[in-house]
Amino acid sequence: MKKRNLILLFLAVAMVFSLFGCGGGKGGGDKDTIVFGGSRSITGVYAFFEQSAYGPIYKMWVDDVNAAGGLYVKEYDKNMKIELKVYDDTSDLSTMTRNLEKAIVEDQVDFILPPVSTAFLYAAAPIANKYGKVLIGAEGGSATLKESIAQYPYFFSSLNFSDTQAPALVEILQDHGIQSAYVVFIEDLHGTEYSGALIPALANAGIAVNGVKSVPADIQDMTSIVQDAQASGSDAFLCLTYPDQGYLALNQSIALKYNPKIWFMGSGGGFSSTLDIYGDQAEGIMSWGAWNPKSGQAAAEYFDHFKDFWKDDPNVCYDYWGLIPYYAGLQCLQQAIEGAGTLDNEKIQEYLVNNHFQTVLGDTWFENNMIAPDCFLGNVGQWQNGVFEVIDRTDKATSEPIVPKPEWP
Amino acid sequence: MKLLRAYREKPVRAVPAAAVVLILILLGLLPGMTPPYTTIMVGSVLMYIILSLCWNMFSGATGYISLATAAFFGLGVYASAFLGGTLPLPALMLVGGAAASVLAFLIGLITLRLRGVYFTIFTLGIVKLLEQLILYLEIHFNNTRGRFVVSHSYTEVFYALYVLLILLLAAILIIRRSRFGKALICIAEGEDAAQHIGINATMVKVLAFTISAFAMGAAGAAMATRWSYIDPYIAFNANYSFLPVLMVIFGGSRYLPGPIIGAAIFAYLQELLTTRFPYIYMLAMGLIMIAAILFMPRGILGLIYDGVRKIHKRKEAKADDGS
Repeated sequence: MKKRNLILLFLAVAMVFSLFGCGGGKGGGDKDTIVFGGSRSITGVYAFFEQSAYGPIYKMWVDDVNAAGGLYVKEYDKNMKIELKVYDDTSDLSTMTRNLEKAIVEDQVDFILPPVSTAFLYAAAPIANKYGKVLIGAEGGSATLKESIAQYPYFFSSLNFSDTQAPALVEILQDHGIQSAYVVFIEDLHGTEYSGALIPALANAGIAVNGVKSVPADIQDMTSIVQDAQASGSDAFLCLTYPDQGYLALNQSIALKYNPKIWFMGSGGGFSSTLDIYGDQAEGIMSWGAWNPKSGQAAAEYFDHFKDFWKDDPNVCYDYWGLIPYYAGLQCLQQAIEGAGTLDNEKIQEYLVNNHFQTVLGDTWFENNMIAPDCFLGNVGQWQNGVFEVIDRTDKATSEPIVPKPEWP
Repeated sequence: MKLLRAYREKPVRAVPAAAVVLILILLGLLPGMTPPYTTIMVGSVLMYIILSLCWNMFSGATGYISLATAAFFGLGVYASAFLGGTLPLPALMLVGGAAASVLAFLIGLITLRLRGVYFTIFTLGIVKLLEQLILYLEIHFNNTRGRFVVSHSYTEVFYALYVLLILLLAAILIIRRSRFGKALICIAEGEDAAQHIGINATMVKVLAFTISAFAMGAAGAAMATRWSYIDPYIAFNANYSFLPVLMVIFGGSRYLPGPIIGAAIFAYLQELLTTRFPYIYMLAMGLIMIAAILFMPRGILGLIYDGVRKIHKRKEAKADDGS
């Protein structure tokens, strides 16, 4: 008994004392690199995004900057290369918040990378703001964040959302005489927000909403929903989900030969994986986005560069929604660092708010800390002959919409 | 003074008590004397220690395996999400704890007549039920999925969890020495026998379940303020049901320090592996758990105690041979 207690005492006291010896931040000394750190979902349910969405973009951007000799920072009067220090949050929010604080307070990184998904971005924004670190969001974010932007001036968003995309889609439906729609949305922040923006817009445009169904992320069978949509006789099937659920609905639509005039798939519909999986059957599918190499010279050059950079990685796909604004967001930050001549996040935040930047989107600027709607190359796209064409009712369109969509081959 | 008196009277027994006091004092000094991230990390470890102790308080004592931890924790999280702007942190923890206790009492009344796997599955079902119910209500009535939570500093949350841990340890010690605690052990040894000797087994179990849920809810309320934003999937993450069970198994459920040591080592390992070896984290944790179950059926403490006992016996045998 006595020895047992002594062992316990030794173990416990040693553990607590070891905490007092935990190392602090780096701090001080000559600085040669700019450290970007943070928490990404390298494993877990969101790992797909690190592999196929923002992950390939920020890695390519770091390589691009370093290959060009780094960023010139006037404060240090030298070119500084970028170093990455990224932790895995295993797609768990509490781990993400802890990792982010570890990167900021222990590693003392100069800039932080955004975490994956809307919910994680919501949690990261107050942390970034508290520590005065600029955070340019990537995957996720939402128009409702606009309401909170005033509270979190250090948070910036690089993606276009429901507030511009839903009206653009409704315009297309109106232009092609769509009378009715059936809406399916995923039970998460993304689905809630998009359905919340789209359903009233449809009603205002005089388009009848014949059915609204919410689905959980782990849904395995959408047959009954697709059958219900088919029975409703709706002109448009609007599936506001992620790739997993969208592909499931698509499979079942093809199997049931349900071919409405408009088949719209939410997030993931504009990924090149849709074309890879469905081939000719993808023809006419619409989705959010949008851009393609025909959107302009900068977009074409960026597309070629991305293709060349990731040619050996079969997992990387082309996201015709986020792939270009994500890179543009990083270019804005890059130009803000060089323009402000410092790594001081407060000055860089001011610079981002008050300046225009030349990016792969062209002239780019922030309005209410979100890339201005006019900067985006499109809001809605459609697969046409293997190209994800921009079909908005604007001069940025690269093709006219094909309505009704062709029969399933 | 009491400790000094105890030391004079029973010096050997006073050693662990003194150690606990020393450790708690050192922990209390942590925020001012270590880098901020150490406080953040230890705060997270304290959360797991509280959840593991609470789980062991009921399941370890009675043998009823509950997977409702995430439900109680999640209710606490939602207490902070709803009332974060209006109540101070201690009050949020009280509300979160009370909500969890009420739920535990109701679940207990309905289910603690069930035994074995039925009870376990029911408790896991409660987690999913609450997750989906809140999700439905949020989407259909509030047109949102998640909520911002008014945040508190890591130091505040650390001390909130620290005080909660001290209170919980005191409660566990009091219960273990009380008739109520002995009734719980009796139920674990043989529920029918316990009833025969006059123990109201259902009521004892319900009370233990209710008490243990309080600290789980309070911990959830405190931790939510560090996350800034929550939704039902985050609040009712089933990991909060499974991890405390694994931590207790790892530490050793038969001993009071078992859940504490198990949670501390497990949480630290988690931190180390996810930050240094992200690609092998899940594989390594899986292997560690398989090894723990195969080679440490009584947890790491059981292994240590067995080792000490063997050494002691060997010494005694040598001494006997010598004489």
